[in-house]
Amino acid sequence: MKILIVDDERDIEDLFKQKFRKETRNLGLELVFAFSGQEALNILGSENPPEVMYVFSDINMPGMSGLEMLSIAKERFPQIQISMISAYGDSENYNKAMESGAKGFFTKPVDFEALRKEIVKILTK
Amino acid sequence: MILVNIISFFLLYYLKKFFGGENFSPELKKYFKFGMLGAGILALAGITKIPPKLLFDFLSLALAGGIIFLIINSPELEEQKNLAVTPLPILVVQVVKFILETFLPSYYEVIDKYLAAAGFFAIIWAVTMWLNHRKEMKAIQIERMISKEKERQLFLAQERKEELERLVRARTSEIQNQKEELLQALNHLKSTQEQLVQQEKLASLGQLTAGIAHEIKNPLNFINNFAELSEDFLKEIQEEVQKENGQMDRENLQDLLEDVKSNLKKIRHHGHRADNIVKSMLMHSRGEKGEIKNTDLNALIREYTNLAFHGMRANPNPINVEIALDLDESLKPILLNAEDFSRVILNLTKNAFDAMRDKINGVSSDYKAKLEIRTKELEDKVLLEIEDNGPGVPEEIKDKLLMPFFTTKKGTDGTGLGLSITHDIVKSHGGSLEIQSKVGEFTRFRILLPNSAT
Repeated sequence: MKILIVDDERDIEDLFKQKFRKETRNLGLELVFAFSGQEALNILGSENPPEVMYVFSDINMPGMSGLEMLSIAKERFPQIQISMISAYGDSENYNKAMESGAKGFFTKPVDFEALRKEIVKILTK
Repeated sequence: MILVNIISFFLLYYLKKFFGGENFSPELKKYFKFGMLGAGILALAGITKIPPKLLFDFLSLALAGGIIFLIINSPELEEQKNLAVTPLPILVVQVVKFILETFLPSYYEVIDKYLAAAGFFAIIWAVTMWLNHRKEMKAIQIERMISKEKERQLFLAQERKEELERLVRARTSEIQNQKEELLQALNHLKSTQEQLVQQEKLASLGQLTAGIAHEIKNPLNFINNFAELSEDFLKEIQEEVQKENGQMDRENLQDLLEDVKSNLKKIRHHGHRADNIVKSMLMHSRGEKGEIKNTDLNALIREYTNLAFHGMRANPNPINVEIALDLDESLKPILLNAEDFSRVILNLTKNAFDAMRDKINGVSSDYKAKLEIRTKELEDKVLLEIEDNGPGVPEEIKDKLLMPFFTTKKGTDGTGLGLSITHDIVKSHGGSLEIQSKVGEFTRFRILLPNSAT
């Protein structure tokens, strides 16, 4: 199962890969990474039907913000689940995300155990 | 002999009238009084012929001689000494006449005529001398008057000069006071200006605080996560190593070791990153001036554009904006005061964000805010352009934009110092700042810096 992580920080790739090392090896998890909202949409749009089932996206990114990406992606690929991750746990961002159809809202620093539970839940469905 | 007395009287009278008064000592006045009295009495006695002729003649001559002696020996009559000579020939003739008459009457009769002639000439000579003396005296008087007038004028001039000097002194001290007051006002203005500049610095720091917090949080999260992961991996490695020979998964061990190694590298990288952010924050909060040194302009732009972006995002009314950096990678480090120049980047990016926010709030939704930052190495200059596709600047306020305290922002949004300080900083680097704009399309700040790359 493919999960897309969107963040403008490059090291997020290594971090997620290492954090979900066991899930990747044992539960068939596949992680893909995009470093901007636009790149995320490109990846989602390049596969037909989309293989990515779940997207975790940062909100604050230069250029297209995570929230913009969320509303576009939800419009084009309503079946894909998208959760937002934000450094700022403000209600405005939270409300916007939820209105645009986000499944969850995580604040930084990311609680990897909560994230792991969420991912394992999807993987074992 | 009556003539001698008249001359004596006249001599004294003349001297007293024209030169007497204050100049004369009381003693001299007394001599004059008795002299005149004596001459008068003798003249009367001569007319009435009461005393014997011999005594009368002798007294008359003695008095005249005494008067001449007095004139010559009185310091008060120094200038009138010539006058004493005037009647001298008359006196001599009279003396001779007196002696001859008294002692040699036979001779007297022989030279009587000659004596009469001599007496006549003596009178003419006396009159001439006297007239001369009068003339001289008049000349002296005129001279005196002139010198008196001169003295008066000099005195007046002196007085006037003193008056002027007094005025000048008064005016000078007035001006001095005013100068002091102005100096005080200037110092006050200077310190106010410094305070304002400091406030503006703090305001831009405040703007950045959220961005900086966000920026620090990111590397710290990475540090925590990679450290935690490395701990887990080391535990795993320990477990793996403790396994029986043959059961050990060498490949897994190798992977884990690689990960730990790369994680430590990342921890160091992110630690360094956080350190830099704190350093630049301290740099901003301190009032002191940074130093001019070789600086990588592109790196400075990346760092501060990022901070400005996150600062903007973390503050009220964040906007979505695409940031396009088109940096000339061949650009070598140039001489910059990094602390000052970072404020140029912060101010201009903040300015762009504010402008574009206004446009977002004003126009239809298909507007996409975009900030472009370019660097380019020219022959002897370095070009830095910061361009936004915001509402643009109308021609009529373009010139005012760089003036202190000019602001289009309402209320407490702007100090009106940001762009003015930006301009000052650019100028202090020997650079120039130009604003190009088209209303409704773009605003471009074009900065040319001397290319000091060595």
